[in-house]
Amino acid sequence: MPHRPARLLRTLSAAIALGPALLASAAAAPYAYITNQGEHSVTVFDLAARKVTATVPVAQSPAGVVAVGRAGKVFVTAPGSNAVSVIDMRSQRVIDTLPAGAGAVGIDAAPDGTRVYVADWFGGRLLGFDTATHRETLRVAVGDAPAGVAVSADGRHVFVAERDNDLVAVIDVAAAAVVARVPTGSHPFALLLDAPRARLYALNVYSNSVSVIDVRDAARPQRLAVVEVGKAPYGAALADGGRRLYVTNQLDDSVSVIDPERLRLVQTLGGFAYPEGVASVGDRVLVVNWMDDNLMVLDAATGRPLQTVATGSNPRGFGAFIGEPAPR
Amino acid sequence: MLSRRLALAALTLLAPGLALGHGPTRQKVTEKIAIDAPADVVWTVIKDFDALAKWHPAFEASPADKGNAEGSVRQLKLQGGGALTETLERYNAEGRSYSYRAKDGGALPVTNYTSTLTVSGEGNKSVVEWRGAFYRGFPNNDPPPDQNDEAAVRAVTGVYQAGLANLRRLVEKR
Repeated sequence: MPHRPARLLRTLSAAIALGPALLASAAAAPYAYITNQGEHSVTVFDLAARKVTATVPVAQSPAGVVAVGRAGKVFVTAPGSNAVSVIDMRSQRVIDTLPAGAGAVGIDAAPDGTRVYVADWFGGRLLGFDTATHRETLRVAVGDAPAGVAVSADGRHVFVAERDNDLVAVIDVAAAAVVARVPTGSHPFALLLDAPRARLYALNVYSNSVSVIDVRDAARPQRLAVVEVGKAPYGAALADGGRRLYVTNQLDDSVSVIDPERLRLVQTLGGFAYPEGVASVGDRVLVVNWMDDNLMVLDAATGRPLQTVATGSNPRGFGAFIGEPAPR
Repeated sequence: MLSRRLALAALTLLAPGLALGHGPTRQKVTEKIAIDAPADVVWTVIKDFDALAKWHPAFEASPADKGNAEGSVRQLKLQGGGALTETLERYNAEGRSYSYRAKDGGALPVTNYTSTLTVSGEGNKSVVEWRGAFYRGFPNNDPPPDQNDEAAVRAVTGVYQAGLANLRRLVEKR
């Protein structure tokens, strides 16, 4: 086959001209960013194309993740490097690596996308970062083994699970201080805010339950209820328009589905393998199976499995790992 | 007094560096073996939580205090010394599977160790899967070689492979 440099060049320039259009269409899809703790990377799964479109090398032992669409960035905690890796959602590349205390795992973003908050596990602090400049904005001492993080709907308060104290601390961002604490069950790890109901869910790993906390007044959190789930609940996500709360149970290889209105267990789904991270978008729920190195896509309304996708090794996906870049 | 203060200040400065250890990360092992026997036959051999010593060559004794009831605690004695205490966390006879958790400080160089043994099969063939999740024995940075991630994975892999190989021998010679 003879070379045709002229034709090749034409093809190339056509592809380059099409480039921005192709990128724009690709950017419309929501992506799931799964942290692969065993191989220091993040698997990028395109929900519209239903396939893995990138594997991004990040700092060591990535665990926590928050996809911040409004900032067009994904923030990944990498406890092995005591850092946060910042991925640009458009290029799917790491654009910065921030020092973030010691062994940070939990991370969440303010609803307006301007801040991320990181629980500094060994340092016993909550750290805040500006999502545009990546500068540290907040540093507040909290209790022992701060794990999961959730930000209030107005962005003024941050909730942190103090795992080894069996408490959730409430931090007032403007005052840079802990303003309240509320008891949970034993060993609270993940937190999830239910903004429309002004509630916080704390997952109690040792007591196999979810503490439901009324945060209508964030500075005065009230215990509302406790819902029993499976063994070692680890991740939570609201799905199906907030009608279903999915909770992964690591040691039961199951996922509990709770009706958040009645605060009752309505379904227990089996067939998972040490499930950890869970997140939802539209009519889909994604569950990360740490043991089997994969991601399962479920139908949000029924819990029916639709697809299984291979990830890297020891995937965690601890946090709100689904997002898409907001239009510029 | 001043020197003590200085020493304290120096310690405070050092402390973050010392405590900075990123902790260890969770490890896992999955081992499988195919056996030429129906799943029910294989399950009969391993289904009792206190039967480990009957089919695993590394264990001398494995009495359990409450049989196959969840919460049952078995005291394992290893051939040649060493012990492990394990609690039955989940038992599913229908699914031919059970899960247990080991108390930290036992003979294996691991902590926070949980494990599941499952038999599946079709017709005259079965597959036994043994899988575990755990952290290494040494909780901080710079573990000694016998307490690091590799040592933990090696030890658990060794236990699973030796047990499964012997299980196949026992069942297939029946």
